[in-house]
Amino acid sequence: MATNCRTAVSPFAYSVPPTGLVLLTGTQTLCKMFKAAVNSSLCPVVKDLRVFAPRCLSLSAGLCARAPRPKPRDVPQIAGLERVSYAARMHYVPGLAKPELPPWERGWKDPRQYRSPKPEQMELYKEKPCYIYNQRTNPLEGVRQALWLTKAKLVEGLPAQILSLAEDPANQIEDQDVRVQNAIRHARFWDTTERRPSRERFCPSLLHNLLHLCGGLQATHPGLARRMLADKYSLAASWSRGEDLFQVRGQNGLLLNCMSPLPALAGQEEIQSTADHVLETFYPISPTIDLQCTHVYEQKNSIGFREDYPYPHAHTLYLMEAGNTPPLYPEQLRAKMIMFAFGNALARARVLYGNESKVLEKPIVVQSVATNGRLFQFVVFQLNTTELESDSGVKNLAWVDADQPLYDFAKIRPLIKKKVVRVPAGLSGYQPDTFKKFLALYLHGAA
Amino acid sequence: MALSSLCSALRALTVSSISTRTATSQVFNGSVLNTALLSVWPVNCSLPLSRGFLTTATLGQNRTLWKQTDKYTIRPIGVKKTGGRDFTGKIRRRGIGGGHKQRYRMIDFQRLRHELGKEGQEIVEKVVEVRYDPCRSADIALVAGGNRKRWIIATENMQTGDLIKTSSAIGRMAVLANEGDAHPLGALPVGTLINNLELYPGKGAQYIRAAGTCGILLRKVNGTAIVQLPSKHQVQVLETCMATVGKVSNVDHNKRIIGKAGRNRWLGIRPSSGQWKRKGGWAGRKIRPLPPMKSFVNLPSISAKA
Repeated sequence: MATNCRTAVSPFAYSVPPTGLVLLTGTQTLCKMFKAAVNSSLCPVVKDLRVFAPRCLSLSAGLCARAPRPKPRDVPQIAGLERVSYAARMHYVPGLAKPELPPWERGWKDPRQYRSPKPEQMELYKEKPCYIYNQRTNPLEGVRQALWLTKAKLVEGLPAQILSLAEDPANQIEDQDVRVQNAIRHARFWDTTERRPSRERFCPSLLHNLLHLCGGLQATHPGLARRMLADKYSLAASWSRGEDLFQVRGQNGLLLNCMSPLPALAGQEEIQSTADHVLETFYPISPTIDLQCTHVYEQKNSIGFREDYPYPHAHTLYLMEAGNTPPLYPEQLRAKMIMFAFGNALARARVLYGNESKVLEKPIVVQSVATNGRLFQFVVFQLNTTELESDSGVKNLAWVDADQPLYDFAKIRPLIKKKVVRVPAGLSGYQPDTFKKFLALYLHGAA
Repeated sequence: MALSSLCSALRALTVSSISTRTATSQVFNGSVLNTALLSVWPVNCSLPLSRGFLTTATLGQNRTLWKQTDKYTIRPIGVKKTGGRDFTGKIRRRGIGGGHKQRYRMIDFQRLRHELGKEGQEIVEKVVEVRYDPCRSADIALVAGGNRKRWIIATENMQTGDLIKTSSAIGRMAVLANEGDAHPLGALPVGTLINNLELYPGKGAQYIRAAGTCGILLRKVNGTAIVQLPSKHQVQVLETCMATVGKVSNVDHNKRIIGKAGRNRWLGIRPSSGQWKRKGGWAGRKIRPLPPMKSFVNLPSISAKA
């Protein structure tokens, strides 16, 4: 019937047929319309598929495996000469313009569907960008970049006071080696019913076991009781170097807090001698590479705790590299340690002395220990000055002891090559010096 | 939302409101519904304006959506293999399929891409890492300069720690071409081996990117340069097109021996049909004259001058 043919063919025919054509008989109309539809360039599905027509209205965009079309040109808006749109018709009509519809508002707040405003419209937007070092930063140049950012001089090895603490027999735990090896075996073998605990499991387990061992010395060292371990605290410290603003932000790891500050490790002569040291630059790479550059920021300086916290001084920061989000090489891990130790020290300095830049009479010392379950990195950072804008003047000091293995192998199955056991199963290659240094850093300030 | 607009549109077709409208074209003596359908066609401003609604939906195939990103990143991106199939699902190129999974590293072929705020200056970058790329025969190098890192095609003797230069200056004297540096063709001395050649200035390198290949800069002719490609074809491009100096890395790529059918399958090459036709004409060495030089320079035509 003529009526049916009209509605049936409407998806394909884009022109309203003139009245004269419609008065033909039904089948003839149907054939003509279908042929017109088929022969038109707007219906490539029926035609040879190897020819890609520019418009493919019968196939949706998701089915075509082509790059998206370039956007059409901007039509100039002339008042009084706007194009007629199909808004009033309420459906698409070929030949009429797409109407300018207002952006749809939900009307109520759906927490799962939230579009954040553009950075320029946010309240904390500033013209000058800020480079933020957060816990996920993976700096390309590693320790050199951290030293430039913190205006610090690198000293290999731990300072003499801490090394003497390590060697002192009065500071040892009884059966120290046996107990440490048992702690390692617990973390690496005995912690789960699975054959092999994952790194995310044994790394924090080992660290907590070692801290528990060190905490057992409270009987002989009463100063150890005036400390507190805190996890998941957020640090914020901001400073400027040259023309750029920098910030250290984020939840980094376990922090051991103390009631009294650590004594300064380097004397005044050593501090003044750092003024001659020239900071190492790495042209052509800029020191701000890999830092998060943002225009929406707040220059915050906060130690992560309230002012009336009974343990205000940061003593040691324990970082764990358990292979998750994102994995860091030892070089980058040491850079992270330096940056966050500096951040803690700077936040403390801002609390004590305000935002003014000056050389500190009483330098602030913060220690840091990082581990990936086997290798330990020790960093002691001494903040001598908050004058960080220029590259000259007194520098801060960073003692770095890198890649100290606590043990060589902790294998579930022995390594056998050519029927000879090369590495036995269980714990092997235990190094007692590493735990002595760990203990020395723990006891520093209380022994 | 689609439902509400559908309802509001259909509410306009209620029986009670038909009598208020005048149908301009009463072509068919159909039912009341047909009349209602037709009478909506003339403009009726009393209807609420609402967005049109779709009665179709996309299938949501992520066939090429994995590569529709504008933001550059050095992180490798997972690739969806096509198996030689096109958007209809039929095989368009035979012999492709399977193979080891690959991740695509976005290569920056436009060497002369400045950072924001540093346009016009010479770019110096340090090579951080040279590594194998599963998506191409050449090796790729991660270079870092200023505040950004990017992947580029490595040249033959590129090592970690090298400094490479990219400059857009064309002086009267030709530049001493160091391997790995990128200069416009007008600044390079005649006879240098080049790779990653741009055909149009600013478009990005399109030619001479495969392992071990190099082109030769033959002549420089008033504002254009003529380059011989690895296939011995000659090409004329503007002298402001950038090119990198040296041969592309992985020079012994064509000397490798596949060794077994399995290695070809690891590369994603499926076996060919093996049917031999005597008169195929594809095998054997062909000796024929070079085609005329292709010019990518829009010189004003003779008729335009006249």
